[in-house]
Amino acid sequence: MSKRRKEVVASVKDAAAMIQDGQTVAIGGFGADNHPMALVREIIRKGTKDLTIIASATAGLEIDLLIGAGCVKKLIAPYVGQEMYCPIGHNYRKYAESKQIEVWECSEYILYAGLFAAASGQEFFAWRGGVGTSIPELNPDLVQFTDPIGKTKKIIAVPPLRADWAIIHVGWSDVYGNGQHLGARFGDRWLARAADRIMTQAERIVPNSVIRRNPFMTTIAYADCVVEAPYGGHPYAAHGFYKEDVEFIQDYVRCSEANRKGDAATWDEYLKRHIQPDHYAYLDTVGIKKLLGLYTHPIVSW
Amino acid sequence: MSEYSWKELMAVVFSREIKDTDKITSGAHTEIFFAATMLAQKTHAPNLKLQLGGSVTLCNVTDMDVEELPKTSTGYELIRYAESVHDHADTFLFYGAPGGASYYKDDSDLRDINHFWFADKFFVGGIQADKWGNTNMIGLGTKDKMSFRGPGTIGINDIAVGVRDTYVFLTAHDKRRLVEKVDFISHPGKKVCRENEFYGGGPKWIVTPKCIFDFDPNTLEARLAQLFPGVTVEDIKANTGFEVKTASKVETVQPPTKQELEALRTEVDKTGVLRH
Repeated sequence: MSKRRKEVVASVKDAAAMIQDGQTVAIGGFGADNHPMALVREIIRKGTKDLTIIASATAGLEIDLLIGAGCVKKLIAPYVGQEMYCPIGHNYRKYAESKQIEVWECSEYILYAGLFAAASGQEFFAWRGGVGTSIPELNPDLVQFTDPIGKTKKIIAVPPLRADWAIIHVGWSDVYGNGQHLGARFGDRWLARAADRIMTQAERIVPNSVIRRNPFMTTIAYADCVVEAPYGGHPYAAHGFYKEDVEFIQDYVRCSEANRKGDAATWDEYLKRHIQPDHYAYLDTVGIKKLLGLYTHPIVSW
Repeated sequence: MSEYSWKELMAVVFSREIKDTDKITSGAHTEIFFAATMLAQKTHAPNLKLQLGGSVTLCNVTDMDVEELPKTSTGYELIRYAESVHDHADTFLFYGAPGGASYYKDDSDLRDINHFWFADKFFVGGIQADKWGNTNMIGLGTKDKMSFRGPGTIGINDIAVGVRDTYVFLTAHDKRRLVEKVDFISHPGKKVCRENEFYGGGPKWIVTPKCIFDFDPNTLEARLAQLFPGVTVEDIKANTGFEVKTASKVETVQPPTKQELEALRTEVDKTGVLRH
């Protein structure tokens, strides 16, 4: 019997290959921040199909990219867009309107209620938000019942939202899968807890002693797989490292809008430009000058 | 050309609504409300408990230099204004009594409702709003055929259950947006809130670039209450998709004062995001 602890570090390629066609994948981050983009791009490169995606409560264009690349069958998300950059994701619109993807209609806390139910092994979590709206009508998985205590109010039973994998961006991690966010955590801890297995994408792999120096900061413990991908969140921000690449996001919005309007050539060319053989080839296309220019002073430091 | 934009006017109108004891949550894609809340902190509400968007940053800019209005509600840059950052699910949890200390006084009119009031005020956008104050972020069409897929409900309905007053805002005033009945409800109006015994009161106003509707306390229907300067009742009637009823007296909104406009432009919106 070996007394050596198991190290869980993998390459981006090997990690993404563990995700099979038809699986359910929860993807962390929020808005324009902290998305595991190196893994997302590798999933696209590999051509993984028919995924059910559990998005973050305010999904950004990382989900829109997966939809536009043809990887998604079903989407569980209360929003897909990028606020002022792009109020509604263009591929999301295109695919939802033509019913090429199924949308599991929900709101932010209905999403969390489903994740809590999965994470805690409950049959459902109860939540009032959504009563009186069209959400229960659009989503037959949500069941309304009458409050058994007060006897009058309507409540929604939200069934568990379980994922095969959660893929989460962290600031850094050790080789045993102990990851720490170096900024906002958003809903990442809940996405991870609702998943059978966790894959983290770290800006840096650090010695275990760095984690032990401040275990209070560990947000994802014992991930099943860790990949190191510096600038792996690009074009989105990675808290503690860099801000979002505005020009790059605007280019995405332009090309995805073209796709929605029927110009598939522009979109195919976009995918060809950005889905490179590996993460470092992708970074080469962005360019060192651009990448270094995105650096932000680490607000969180210790 | 007036000396201020409708966005600036809207920011000032909402800033005036804000009390020093308020708790407010401002969601995504709402630069007008970033401006309104920050302006309030800088002018008359330095104790406003302001929760911004996704990362649940509790922000106070009273003594801070605001370089430019934030572009997103989640951005890393936004954290410079924060005094606290929580997990996002905490957005929907209690963080202090509405109305501040007065809540705990016996004569407070807030206490007979429920202490789990999420906040005092919340701002709600939509692709459609109807005469009941229901708003729609889901899409246009029917359940079986959505001709336009909207952005989604985000967390609006989750918050609406427990916020004292919501304020519906539309960025254009026309018959496509102000309709008899919304195609889908993402944020329930006053009537639906009351029927479902929500702690929250539902919308207090619908605000457009032309006017403010409030709600008839008896019928819970929208009625024209205030006009923006230069707008007429006829103009509203001609551009609204439901029959416009009016309050007993329709007032005109006070234009921004010189001081308000100066504070807005020099302390909150230096780059002029709202000017265009």
